[in-house]
Amino acid sequence: MRVLAIAGVNVRRMLRDRSSFFFVFVLPLVLVLMLGAVFGGATASRLGVVAPSTSLAGSLVAQIENEPSIEVIRYDSEKAMVLAVERGELEAGLEIPANFDEMSQDKVELGFVATNLQEQIELRSVVEEAVAGQNAVLRAAGFTVEQGVSTYDQALSNAQSERSKVEGIDVVTSSVGKPYSFTLGGQFDLGAQSQLVLFIFLTSLTASAALIESRTLGVSLRMLATPTPMRTILVGETLGRFGVAVVQGLFIILGTWIIFGVNWGNPVATGSLLVIFSLVSAGAAMVMGSVFRNVAQASGVGVLLGLGLGALGGCMVPLQVLELFAPTMYTVAHITPHAWALQAFAEIVQSQEGLVAILPNLGILLAYAVALLAIATWLLRRSLTRA
Amino acid sequence: MRNALLIAGKDLRRRLRDRSAYIVGIIAPLGLAAIFSFVFNPLSNATFTATFGVVDNDGGQIARMFVDQVLGGLSGVTIVDVATEADARARVEADADPASNATNGLDAAFVIPAGFSDAVQGGAATTLEVIGSPANSTSAGVADAVARSFADEVSAVNLEIRTYVASGGSIGADTLAAAVAYPSPISVGDFAAGTRRLDTTTTMVVGMAVMFVFFVAQQGVLGLLEEGRDGTLDRLLVAPIGKWSILAGKAITAYVMGVASLTVLAVSTTLLLGAHWGDPVGVAILVLAVTFAAVGIMAVVSGFARTDEQANTYTAIVAIALAIFGGSFFPVSQVGGVVAMLSKFTPHAWFIQGLGDLASGRLTAIIPSTLVLLAIGLVAGVVAVLSLRRVVDR
Repeated sequence: MRVLAIAGVNVRRMLRDRSSFFFVFVLPLVLVLMLGAVFGGATASRLGVVAPSTSLAGSLVAQIENEPSIEVIRYDSEKAMVLAVERGELEAGLEIPANFDEMSQDKVELGFVATNLQEQIELRSVVEEAVAGQNAVLRAAGFTVEQGVSTYDQALSNAQSERSKVEGIDVVTSSVGKPYSFTLGGQFDLGAQSQLVLFIFLTSLTASAALIESRTLGVSLRMLATPTPMRTILVGETLGRFGVAVVQGLFIILGTWIIFGVNWGNPVATGSLLVIFSLVSAGAAMVMGSVFRNVAQASGVGVLLGLGLGALGGCMVPLQVLELFAPTMYTVAHITPHAWALQAFAEIVQSQEGLVAILPNLGILLAYAVALLAIATWLLRRSLTRA
Repeated sequence: MRNALLIAGKDLRRRLRDRSAYIVGIIAPLGLAAIFSFVFNPLSNATFTATFGVVDNDGGQIARMFVDQVLGGLSGVTIVDVATEADARARVEADADPASNATNGLDAAFVIPAGFSDAVQGGAATTLEVIGSPANSTSAGVADAVARSFADEVSAVNLEIRTYVASGGSIGADTLAAAVAYPSPISVGDFAAGTRRLDTTTTMVVGMAVMFVFFVAQQGVLGLLEEGRDGTLDRLLVAPIGKWSILAGKAITAYVMGVASLTVLAVSTTLLLGAHWGDPVGVAILVLAVTFAAVGIMAVVSGFARTDEQANTYTAIVAIALAIFGGSFFPVSQVGGVVAMLSKFTPHAWFIQGLGDLASGRLTAIIPSTLVLLAIGLVAGVVAVLSLRRVVDR
């Protein structure tokens, strides 16, 4: 009973504090929204275009605009467009000279600019594809005139009517291998999972300040002076941290489910994962709360460890991406409990598995929790009875 | 002014003895920047190399030309002959599968069907197959683009001949060679753009540094409210010291701590993480300007609080919110839309943009960012002085 009283005080203290209201409830949802908006949507590459409004130039731009993977943004001056490319606000830029239509009978060069290799390859090939269509007709006309058999206008109209009759090489593209698994699922799903894991752990670590306050204010010592065994205080404080983590986790899960329609998969599996990961976070918080002597230090280190372990564990760059591009980092990620939890979420949500499939992950997380709580108990007992 | 410096000096000495200033100002941002750059750096690999397989079921002249001249001319690409299409598919798939141990993986493959050369030379339809995988999307894109440009070239020559014949020309011995040699009127040339972006490591480092400078400034600014709580402010007020000296002293403390934190971070990340902040003069100007804005904003926010605990809360919320929208964590200015517009209201975005502009190599490029940062600091500073006056007017 006294255990629950101590835990209850901790949870209530957090719920009433305005700053924790922001960090525990508002911030995670804002981040899920932003991450969904920034990374979740289908991203069209942005191509800046400076072009005269003449017929040939216009049809070239229209052809590029037809490409669904590209968003064409018009610019009035080359200078503004290049600046946007340099700042990364555009993936690439295309400049069509003002005298494009007149010069196309003879020779004309378009200017293409990109600063990133990937964009360079993708967008450039779209531009060249569009140019190739016009080139074929113009080249046929020019060649015919050069051979001296026709006037330019006549040759141009012949080329246009012959064009549909040309049979050439049909390029067939086929794809093998699995698509990225992180492209499956809703726009906000991945962001919601990683923010849930990141924030439960981060909040627990920064909230360890409360334990330090209890110690420095002498609350813990006063509790010890009452007929309350050490064990009860330890369990109560741990349950308090655990309660905060579970409340926050439930709020993020329900909030993102209701507001953004995030899919959380099998409720039993997700629930068990939440409970066990909260236990890990509570254990880490108890260790932090026992080690540090003042609140400012604990919150600084808490932010560092909370964000740092989150980043390592795949909360900022998805584990699947690390697996593909940085296998070493992928291995290192599994030092953190975050990676094991995120992997379990991937099983539950993306692969639609149940509780059984994530049992190994839950087991590893439980081992983390037990180890952390054991260390915390030893440290806290030492620090409380030393004075 | 002497009194202000005296107060600032005392505060600074006190802060330097407290370990938390080092944690917030140096260790936390440095540690996070290091972790972030380890995580994000492997993803920004910028050189293109690939191995393409070719299944040549044709063996004719045009097929050889495609393999030797077109594919052979690609830089960074190794061409491997593959016996069968099934083999090519298996090897592309193996390369895309992280669990596979295959060492003979292919990034993409081409399949040239039998009769390809005859069809091309006779102007008949044929196909060219490209096998790619989503895991190697860049390679697949390159392979596809190469195949398409070859197909475009073949079609163009075809159309030249057809137009020539339709216009009354008769095909001679050298007509085909002349058609192939005739240049395309429109070409796509590259023009070089400088860069106004920071590399991945520097982006992470700068983002973390500017986020934590707000927390450092917060510690300095909060000193005023703490002194009010502890009663030492009353003692200062009865001393022969101007009220403005007290405010100025606290502002100087916050400013010096902020500049010191950014300076230590700039030097240490350059040495330890290989970050490139840019021209030291430009960096110094931007650091001085952004710290001014940070102190101003933190002072305004604490002006709205009644107790030092409230101020602590408010400033932390504002510092985090500005960091998120300003691009400390992800490049919001490059995303576009509403978020990118909101980011223009944060000093973080201007500081990051200023350093990006500095990377263009011209010192004058940082003038707009610097002016905006100074303006933010000035406006915030005036509001802060007005609202914090009641703390010392008692």
